[in-house]
Amino acid sequence: MRRNGVLKSNLTGYAFISPFIIGFLAFTLIPMVISLYLSFTNYNLFSSPRWVGFDNFDKMFTNDPKYWNSVRVTLIYVLLGVPLRLMFALFIAMILNTKSRMVGAYRTMYYLPSIIGGSVAVSIMWRNIFSNEGIVNSVIGWFGITPVQWFGNPDASLVMLISLSVWQFGSSMLIFLAGLKNISVEMYEAAGVDGAKPIRKFFSITLPLLSPIVLFNLIMQTISAFMTFVPAYIISKGEGGPMDGTMLYSLYLFRQAFMFNNMGYASAMAWMMLILIGIMTGLLFITSKFWVFYESEGGR
Amino acid sequence: MRKKATMLLTVLMLLIVTACGNSANTKETQATATEGETTSTEATSTETKKDITLRIAWWGSDTRHEYTQKVIDLYKSANPHVKIDFEYASFDDYWKKLAPQAAANQLPDIVQMDVSYISQYAKNGQLEDLSPFMNNQIQLSDVSENVLSTGIIEGKQYGIPTGVNVLGFQYDPALLTKAGIDTIPEDWDWDKYEELAVTAASNKLFFDSGMAPDVFFNYYLRTKGKTLYNPEGTALGYEDDALFIDFFDRLARLVKAGAAPDPGVANQSKGIVEESDLVKEKGVGIWQWSNQFVGLQTVVNRPMDFAPMIGPDMEKGLYMQPSMYWSVTSNSKAKEEAAKFIDFWVNDVEANKLIKGDRGVPISGKIKESLAPELSDQTKQVFEFVAAMEPKASPMSPAPPVGSPEIIAMLADYAEEINFGQTTAAEVAPKFREAANAILANN
Repeated sequence: MRRNGVLKSNLTGYAFISPFIIGFLAFTLIPMVISLYLSFTNYNLFSSPRWVGFDNFDKMFTNDPKYWNSVRVTLIYVLLGVPLRLMFALFIAMILNTKSRMVGAYRTMYYLPSIIGGSVAVSIMWRNIFSNEGIVNSVIGWFGITPVQWFGNPDASLVMLISLSVWQFGSSMLIFLAGLKNISVEMYEAAGVDGAKPIRKFFSITLPLLSPIVLFNLIMQTISAFMTFVPAYIISKGEGGPMDGTMLYSLYLFRQAFMFNNMGYASAMAWMMLILIGIMTGLLFITSKFWVFYESEGGR
Repeated sequence: MRKKATMLLTVLMLLIVTACGNSANTKETQATATEGETTSTEATSTETKKDITLRIAWWGSDTRHEYTQKVIDLYKSANPHVKIDFEYASFDDYWKKLAPQAAANQLPDIVQMDVSYISQYAKNGQLEDLSPFMNNQIQLSDVSENVLSTGIIEGKQYGIPTGVNVLGFQYDPALLTKAGIDTIPEDWDWDKYEELAVTAASNKLFFDSGMAPDVFFNYYLRTKGKTLYNPEGTALGYEDDALFIDFFDRLARLVKAGAAPDPGVANQSKGIVEESDLVKEKGVGIWQWSNQFVGLQTVVNRPMDFAPMIGPDMEKGLYMQPSMYWSVTSNSKAKEEAAKFIDFWVNDVEANKLIKGDRGVPISGKIKESLAPELSDQTKQVFEFVAAMEPKASPMSPAPPVGSPEIIAMLADYAEEINFGQTTAAEVAPKFREAANAILANN
């Protein structure tokens, strides 16, 4: 009797979380299991999957230079783009942390790019800004620099792509701003009394106290940067060009999946991406021991 | 408290159960509805035709989207019981949308098919053999065998061509003069072409915007008696890498000489007609299919002309290609109605007045005749050019095999690298042949 009651009340709980459980099973777990299976098959969407063992992974590592190119491009994109974006976000957050009457309006304005962030329209706009006769080339023309063919040079086009990611700094900026608000003014005042200059204050007070938030932003942004797709797809018109210079990992995956119908290979690529992101996140956590400062641990 | 919770639970369960029941019900009614449709179409004499919904998909430019919608409206006003949902996209996006739909058996009833994809969709059982509908729902007595046969794959008619095209050089005669060239000779060869192109370059004009690697390399191979793919689609259709080297070296030389834009510039304007060199008066002409002439001409808004393909042996290389096909999918529940729409497309004069040959020169002789007085000057130019080339053309090679999209992308990548000067055709040729053969070996 008693046991029955427990079961009943548990059941109620399950009923309440069932929307999540069903959604998680139908749209996350089951697709993941299927994709794991598909990664060991040759599957072209039309005929049924054919088991090929580790062939897809073998091809990826030994026989597909384009795969390694996409890994290289993505790593450059992440390793340059994420730190730049965070520095920019922190910089703007500190400006917006000052007391000014217009600060509310500024905060909104600076956050705007992130609201329309990953959208197609922004990518198209970016494409126009960097076009041969676009505004960027006009501006650098005033300074006597020869116009850059942003779409012609593989390195230049990657720089263009990174600049777009830096520009979309809004969400990390807001989190930084919240963190800055939590640092008590007394600390700065005390440091000021001891004669600390703004730069010293920044490195001795702001950065250490903000480091848990830096870690959070770093991890979130790294993960999302690895999965960047829309800008590369739109700006290169789906081809990752020129010379595969903007062929980000997810774009190459998409091409394998939906242009060449190599679903098995694309699934294998997706799982390698999961592992890669896992490794990068793990590394960040390990190094965080040395630079993240938690007040509750008394500085250690 | 507990009672309340159980009540809530039962309500929830009930909701779920009824929800399931509902969806099952709708499925049933849907099924009966489609059954009803087929019976009603069989008995065409009955006055009250059951409502039916067709889905149709195509790719193309804005002008194509506009007039296609007008044709659909025209069809709907003639057939009030038919509702037509449509979806359209650019060429690239179209195939990305279609593939998942195919996997889920959710393809539209009628799809526009391209020569490079039709065999893949046909061989995978996504398309319906149209033979039973031919000269039944779809009247084709006016269409030449040669044109229809291009829609046959493994003995079955998987597509009805919307029209035919032929390759050629489309240029602005005024700019040609500006480039320092009097006329393009009727029977030019590759050396003459290069000579003219370099002349244009010396006058600071691009002669052309380059050639789509797969299409024109295939043309070149055909003039040499070879093809890009072998007839079975199991390997490339040539073995001599010298052909590859000769063709792509020449294109790279023209880029280097400034007679064609380098990939950097080309990437910028790719796929946007308004940004092409021809429109900006920086380039003399474009190599492309005849059906793309009218769209280009409209944007360029200056008199333009055609020149035939480059010889020697143009006759061997040249072929009439269906610009695209209309296909009915095997998951369609209203195949007969779909076939009727295709018939309307092929045989209705009013509809073809709207289409104006944008999907190629119409396949029906009657339509061609009745359209003649209606045509704009540009369209007339296209019809005349196609008519002039038709007697010179050889039969088309079989539709490209499964895996060709990957091979075409690879060829484009290699061509880009060569044009950038990062590698040479000689270095790439064996690599391309080996990789392409590996892909085709799966067929």
